[in-house]
Amino acid sequence: MIFDPILDIFRGKTITIPPMDGAFRANTDLDDAPSFANIDHADNLAILDDRLIASSGNLVYEFDDKGKASQLHKFDSEITAIALSPDGRLTVALDNGELLIDGEKASLPASLNCITAIAYSLDGTMWLANGSTKNPASSWVVDLMQKNACGSIWKSESGTGTFNQITDALAWPNGILVHDDHLVVSESWRHRLIRVDCATGIKENLLLHIPGYPARLTPTLDGGSWMSVFAPRNRLIELVLQETHYRYDMMASVPRQFWIAPALSSGNSFLEPLQCGGMKLMGVHKPWAPSRSCGMAVHLDSSMKPTHSHHSRANGHRHGTCSAIEHDGRLYVAAKGGNCIVTIKAGKSEAGK
Amino acid sequence: MTFRERLQAWRYNLVPDHIIGEILEKRWTDNAIPFVALIATVAAFGSQIPGFFSLYSLQESTRQLGEFSLVVIGLTVVMLGGGIDLAVGAIFALSAFAAIATFFIFALPVWVAFLAAITTGIIIGAINGYLIGYIRLRAFLTTLVILIIGRAIFEILIVNYGSIAQMSQVSSDIWDYIGDDIILGFSVPVLTTIIVAFITHIALTRSRPGWHVLAVGGSRRSAHNAGINVRRTVFFTYVFSGFTTGLAGFLFATRLSGTGIGTGHGLEILALTAAVVGGNSLGGGRGSVIKGLMGAVIVLVMTNGLIRLGYGTGTNQMVLGVLLAVAVTIDIRWLKNRHKVLNEMYVAPVYLKMDDAPSAEAGSGTAFELNNRLSKARSIGLGEIEGPEDVILDRNDHLYCGTRHGEVVRFFAPDYTESEVFAHVGGFPLGLAFDRDENLISCVGAMGLYSITPDRKVTRLSAETRRSFTSIVDDAVLRDPNDLDIAPDGLIYFTDSTKRYDAHDWTLDSIENRGTGRLLVYDPKDGSTKTLLDGYRYTNGVCMAHDNKSLYFCETWACSIHRYWLEGPKAGKAECVLRNMPGYPDNINRASDGGYWMAWLGMRTPSFDLSLRHPAMRKRMTRRLPQDEWLFPNVNTGGVVKFDDDMNIITTLGDLTGLSHPSVTSMREHKGQLFIGGILNNRIGLYDIENADKNWTAPVAYWGEKS
Repeated sequence: MIFDPILDIFRGKTITIPPMDGAFRANTDLDDAPSFANIDHADNLAILDDRLIASSGNLVYEFDDKGKASQLHKFDSEITAIALSPDGRLTVALDNGELLIDGEKASLPASLNCITAIAYSLDGTMWLANGSTKNPASSWVVDLMQKNACGSIWKSESGTGTFNQITDALAWPNGILVHDDHLVVSESWRHRLIRVDCATGIKENLLLHIPGYPARLTPTLDGGSWMSVFAPRNRLIELVLQETHYRYDMMASVPRQFWIAPALSSGNSFLEPLQCGGMKLMGVHKPWAPSRSCGMAVHLDSSMKPTHSHHSRANGHRHGTCSAIEHDGRLYVAAKGGNCIVTIKAGKSEAGK
Repeated sequence: MTFRERLQAWRYNLVPDHIIGEILEKRWTDNAIPFVALIATVAAFGSQIPGFFSLYSLQESTRQLGEFSLVVIGLTVVMLGGGIDLAVGAIFALSAFAAIATFFIFALPVWVAFLAAITTGIIIGAINGYLIGYIRLRAFLTTLVILIIGRAIFEILIVNYGSIAQMSQVSSDIWDYIGDDIILGFSVPVLTTIIVAFITHIALTRSRPGWHVLAVGGSRRSAHNAGINVRRTVFFTYVFSGFTTGLAGFLFATRLSGTGIGTGHGLEILALTAAVVGGNSLGGGRGSVIKGLMGAVIVLVMTNGLIRLGYGTGTNQMVLGVLLAVAVTIDIRWLKNRHKVLNEMYVAPVYLKMDDAPSAEAGSGTAFELNNRLSKARSIGLGEIEGPEDVILDRNDHLYCGTRHGEVVRFFAPDYTESEVFAHVGGFPLGLAFDRDENLISCVGAMGLYSITPDRKVTRLSAETRRSFTSIVDDAVLRDPNDLDIAPDGLIYFTDSTKRYDAHDWTLDSIENRGTGRLLVYDPKDGSTKTLLDGYRYTNGVCMAHDNKSLYFCETWACSIHRYWLEGPKAGKAECVLRNMPGYPDNINRASDGGYWMAWLGMRTPSFDLSLRHPAMRKRMTRRLPQDEWLFPNVNTGGVVKFDDDMNIITTLGDLTGLSHPSVTSMREHKGQLFIGGILNNRIGLYDIENADKNWTAPVAYWGEKS
């Protein structure tokens, strides 16, 4: 109706979010999948010498084929991202702002202190996603609630030790995928993937309206990629993001884990917010209930179009999936909120067909 | 408290927003728009035209108005029945001519002329009714055809016989009296209109044929399925329209003693505009005679006013057309969106600052600290029952509970594996209690207070109390009776949680947080129900103190327990004895050791407590999000808390896993075991209480050993 824009002023515009349909159609793959390893806060996955490694708190674990974990490194601060250079050096970013390349501390510009993702080009150039200039990586939820958009992408050419910013004003870049002449960057707070030109830093939209908060991106052999999504979009959270007074009062007076905000896992405490649809009825927690956390790994084809996805829904536990990587024909998904790594046979799932 | 927050508190607690929603619920708000239009029209033209309100001017205007109103009443009835009658212009003219011809040409008495006019109207109306009602032709086209044919006949007649009538010397005092005189300050047309309008109104609103008309207009198929003779009903609406129009034609004839080629010209458009502007729905089924009359006044004042202000017929037609268009648009938009407007307006949250509660988290070391003991409770009736809000045991150890299907289910002692439907009540049986004669008394959600005898006879005890003086929506009715307890003298004390929402909408009440809960008492001796206390935020569980001198009741959304004194110096007064609990209390029942068990249906969350201080945010939440997305108290964790008369917290039981007893709404101690119910659950829990009196039962504690 033509009157709607006028009436909206009085009645309030309905808040809508993109549906979990099409390639994002929900299934229970992640909860059905066998657990590969149970480690707390399993975060960033990578492949080192044909073996899976994962960051977990301030530790880096290495896994054998059976999923047996052995500690590889230990750091002073929580690890925010790991990556391996083409020549096999482990690069680790820490929450205290440090970047360690093969154990060596790199000297970083002052504003590069919230590294959320690291990626290498084949020529050894390192690309860094800096989530925000105002918050450390562990305070991502604060950054969202402050509605910041001060993230940036940085570049460091092999052997130079210098870091150059190639683009900024990003709303929490949280994953990088390196292509020949451009990067694909996931922008969590804007629910989208963008293409960033390596040389000019010019941004272009690639995939919009992701029904969640995208995190890291990893390439697959067939030229596609996996995008992990650590939390679903939620209409109440979208409302709170528009309610300035309530949001700031909440940030000031409510403990962070009980905010109305996305989370890596939910339902652990009775002090957490609950939405009407999330109440347990007749012993059942509805899988489609509104939730603050979820698990989702989305396969994208070579043109960055989503094809299918694996989910852990509101009643599942493998939530907070921040990293997914394909290795030897299997997909490994790290659920930071679910404290585990699960493995699924790569390829199109039954539900995705 | 910041200035902004204080402002919010004033704004949302002092301005009674909820009244708007309650007024919108009333059917008569449909009349508001035409009524405002009526006042505006009369005021506008009254101030513009000198002498508009003078006696003579009013007399002339009202004569015309009387005739016109009769036509509109007829058309209104047709429209209420789902039809439309465009033929009124022709009927009016032909009836007027019939009266003139009978009186002036044939020189017959006035009553014959009257009959002739009425008969003409009825016959044409019957033709319309037959074609539309029985042959089932389209009302619009049929009446249009009748209009054209009728007008053609009228014009032929008037051309051939008009002059004869004018030259006639016949006169009659009665004729002139009807046309010109005044009875008790009213002209005959006005009196006739008042009488016809009154009878029609009574018939439509209070008689079987009238209801049939409204039913047919509302939905032909439903009316047919309900056994109404749709065709006959439609037929008679046109006959009635013909009758009133014929009557109007006769009055017109007596007033002017003649007819011309313009008689009744364009009357159908005027009448239709009047009926629609008054607020009668074109779709049928919705409207009233009063609305028709309001529309008639608006249209007539407007057309006559425009003529007297010197505007030509073109302007007049234009104004009518615009008026009709506006009215039709409003009618359709309002009909379509009324419930939406109501939905958006109804929830009117208030401001509340809850004080910080002691923590109930495991390991917090407070008295309220929850544990995991309830997760070990065994299940009774798992998956067989849905929503046992309250549970109770009788002297024979049988277990009773209500279900959301409106049944009271009985589980048989000793193992509670067998069950039967003890009685079907309907509604949602919530609180339960046994009286001295072992009748099971229940608060039934959305229905009232009911009694079930041991031989399963269900009787309603009470469904209403006295209406309060300031209520807009009738608050005498019990919308959410929740829990009860019975005093030794047989008086039944019970709560009605909210006046604003029905029982199943209790989630909305928590969002709004307005205090409208009541404590009531039912006296079985005279069957009366009295309101004792009012204005609490969701009154819930009720329990007689062990000494029967007072009773405890919960105020759920305020997380408080109140004590209402029945005897002693504070008799008739309530005091808050426990406030700021970390959980939302539900039912309270007696424990064997002189304490009381209290159920927590959910837990306070910091985010929800904060939202109570942001009423504007909650209002926007209800408007911008679907209900499933709303913020709500955390009812996925509840618990059981035992307290004593000095309000010491003795013990707590919780299920932090949330797997078997997430939300607890009731519990009963019986022979050392605790039976646990939950309105959102599909089982009854059975928990062995440590160190409990293995012989204690509530029926004995309340009513003594059976004699």
